Amino acid sequence: MLEQAAHPAPPPLSLTGRPHALRLGRINLEVRQSIPAWRQALILAGAVIAGMAISAALLIAAGVKPRALLDEFVVETLTDSENLHSILFQAAPLIFVGVGAAVAFRVRFWNLGIEGQMIWGGIAATFIAFYEIGPPVTRLALMMLSAALAGMAWIMIPTWLRLRLRVNEIITTLLLNYVALNFLLHLVYGPWLDPKDAFPHSPQFHSYERLPEIGWGLSSALVMALVFTALAAWLVQSTRFGFYTRFVHDNPRMALAVGVPIKAVMLISVLLSGGLSALAGFVIATAQEGRLTQSFFEGYGFSGILIAFLARNNPIAAMIVAVLVAVLFVSGRSLQVFYQIPFAMVQLIQAIIVICVAASEFLMRHRLHWVR
Amino acid sequence: MVAALKLVGVRKSFDGFLALDDADFEANTGEVHALLGENGAGKSSLMNVAAGLYTAEAGRLFVDGQEVVLSGPRDAMACRIGMVHQEFKLVKPFTVAENVLLANWRGRFAPGLREVERQIKTQAAELGFAIDPRSRVDELSIAERQRVEIIKVLLAGARILILDEPTAVLTDEEAVRLLTTVRTLAARGAAVVLVTHKLGEVTAFTDRVTVMRNGRAVAVLDSRSTTANELTQLAVGTTVAQPRRASSPPGAPVMTVKGLRAARADGHVTVTDATFHVRAGEIYGIAGVGGNGQTELVEALTGVRAPLAGSVELDGTGDTTGSPAEALRDLGVASIPADRFGYGLAGGLSVADNFCVGQMHNGCYGTWLRTDSVAMRKATGRAVGEFDVQGVRNLRQKAALLSGGNAQKLIIAREFSRDPKVIIAHSPSRGLDVRACAAVQERLLSARAGGAAIVLISDDLDEVLNLSDRIGVMTRGRIAAEFAAPADRQAVGRVMVHHA
Repeated sequence: MLEQAAHPAPPPLSLTGRPHALRLGRINLEVRQSIPAWRQALILAGAVIAGMAISAALLIAAGVKPRALLDEFVVETLTDSENLHSILFQAAPLIFVGVGAAVAFRVRFWNLGIEGQMIWGGIAATFIAFYEIGPPVTRLALMMLSAALAGMAWIMIPTWLRLRLRVNEIITTLLLNYVALNFLLHLVYGPWLDPKDAFPHSPQFHSYERLPEIGWGLSSALVMALVFTALAAWLVQSTRFGFYTRFVHDNPRMALAVGVPIKAVMLISVLLSGGLSALAGFVIATAQEGRLTQSFFEGYGFSGILIAFLARNNPIAAMIVAVLVAVLFVSGRSLQVFYQIPFAMVQLIQAIIVICVAASEFLMRHRLHWVR
Repeated sequence: MVAALKLVGVRKSFDGFLALDDADFEANTGEVHALLGENGAGKSSLMNVAAGLYTAEAGRLFVDGQEVVLSGPRDAMACRIGMVHQEFKLVKPFTVAENVLLANWRGRFAPGLREVERQIKTQAAELGFAIDPRSRVDELSIAERQRVEIIKVLLAGARILILDEPTAVLTDEEAVRLLTTVRTLAARGAAVVLVTHKLGEVTAFTDRVTVMRNGRAVAVLDSRSTTANELTQLAVGTTVAQPRRASSPPGAPVMTVKGLRAARADGHVTVTDATFHVRAGEIYGIAGVGGNGQTELVEALTGVRAPLAGSVELDGTGDTTGSPAEALRDLGVASIPADRFGYGLAGGLSVADNFCVGQMHNGCYGTWLRTDSVAMRKATGRAVGEFDVQGVRNLRQKAALLSGGNAQKLIIAREFSRDPKVIIAHSPSRGLDVRACAAVQERLLSARAGGAAIVLISDDLDEVLNLSDRIGVMTRGRIAAEFAAPADRQAVGRVMVHHA
């Protein structure tokens, strides 16, 4: 039976199995069992450099002189103190969204609603200021608290849907952004429209409703961001809660079976994420703009996800990456002014770097070697 | 006579770990050749080299005396080498015929599905398989899927057939049928390689046996003139004593299950009416053909799944029906799940994390505000030694790197570290080699001697018969019959099959 199988005899072996002597070398793939940290860092650095090289090529193609590229991104950043300040200023909200995204991603809750939570943070803070609730001394603290609570409340909707009805949070968090945006537009074009200039933003905050400078041109927003980063780092690295989040991330079925309270762990992580994102909105409104505007949140949702991804959901790393993204933001703005490069180029660069880093994962998991 | 398949001096390493170290192998046309060894001895690796999946670092491969170099499974197929893997390589939503067509090694789609269906029917009839070429793979049982795999490689022209642990997923009867078919294939001119770690199969169904240990072939023997003892000694290096159950009077009932009803996630009720009890110092074995509600029963007993009806009572606590896993664990219910890396361990986390998670909540390893990593490392190190978990180079090493037997030992170490009152063990020695299997069963027996009440749910009838004080047979979601040890294997088997 086997001899009369459906197919004829195989062709001569030279067609498929090559004789030994003729065989050329080739690259062989092996799955790595483990990888030392230094090699991991090396691969990551290589990926970032590759991403930057591609981005530089794109910018040069768009008409930026190579010399200017070096000036804008490296020389100016490092030497010009004003530039350095605007970078650190810019870093604060980016740190908040980056750390915020990271704590949610640590329990595999894909919070794509960072912008919606930022909007609610801004609205809640402005609400306190607009209706002058509480004495001036506690005003700022009250604004901050209400911002955080508003962000948590907003993220509770997709969380409840996910935990109760298993509705995918990627869809709900993303779509709720548009609901938040339209409510914001309603407020700034309607009841909260600035009577002074009739532009679509809220009236200017009082000085005691704004986050103060703390000297050396630094804003207290940055200090706040650092404090929250440190808290988040402690929470995920040293506490029992952080220990449990690792299990919820790695194997939720197993976590449930060994008695990890996964719903509580998820709920806390997600609420933290919503609260931190909302604080980014609070920081932009009270430190940068001094009022609620109609577009203060733009670009932060994507940046937050990107920062968390590049930082592998580690809060301290997220803080560092956020500063680098801030460099990109600030340099991108000056390129916009001097070379008419659209700001979308900044997002393109971010995307290129993300893709390079994501691709480098392959090299971390596999070992390539040349076989003869 | 020229060997149909011959491998000489094969070496293969995985990220520094030498899986095959100068391994030789030879199988002739017309014979069923067993490849025997413990887990990790290199059996599957060697056959994956022969099937073109792995590239060896050194060594030569001959087919019918002619040296070949394989740069992929396609080349292997061209040399008419076909392998049926442990994890079936079938596309589930496709039909049988579509799967066979997909594996068609020269991509000849021209004859069309109808022709393929005809060929499948002919081939199935010759082998005595009842397979409808138009049924979808996900509607087939495990045994049927395996038959599809065999037909697939045969229709692709294979005459060197490699079967990687084919009987691990089958019931006794199915296994005998398969092995009989395999003998027929060899008689008709195929060379069959049977990768296995079951000694009974080797002596009863094969012609020759190659024994592997630590990546090398240590012996080639005539299967008929060897004994199970000799084979064990060669495969393991020493003889392994079968764990024996000491007789001791059982205590009072600890867990009482009445009329339990539970459904799968898709709503299908698989546990219809389970009633049994287990006493202190007793192993209550639940035998049965897989898929008769065992998985859902285990999930309901361990708090992973809420039952639909019925009750579970724990001695001293009362009704615990529907309590979540964390509550049950606090009451002393331990669980050894069948799917080790699915429900037992978090593979991406460290050995220490996986060990300590079981006791984290009661403050053994620090407070809410601070986990005590020193205490964690100390306790894990002690348990790893005490439960003989091997392959732990570092407590921070990922649990996924442990072999099946050591992963199971780690789970047992975690579950037994709390002196459990009730142990729910589901197929605890599935896929383990002789030595690991004996170690796991030894642990269960010593927990029994320590007064724990153990529910042992297993597809392996021998395991249930050897270890249990009483045996319940589960069919269609209920305990259809109970037997006291020593139970008659035939009688238990009859209930398993006839009530199904």
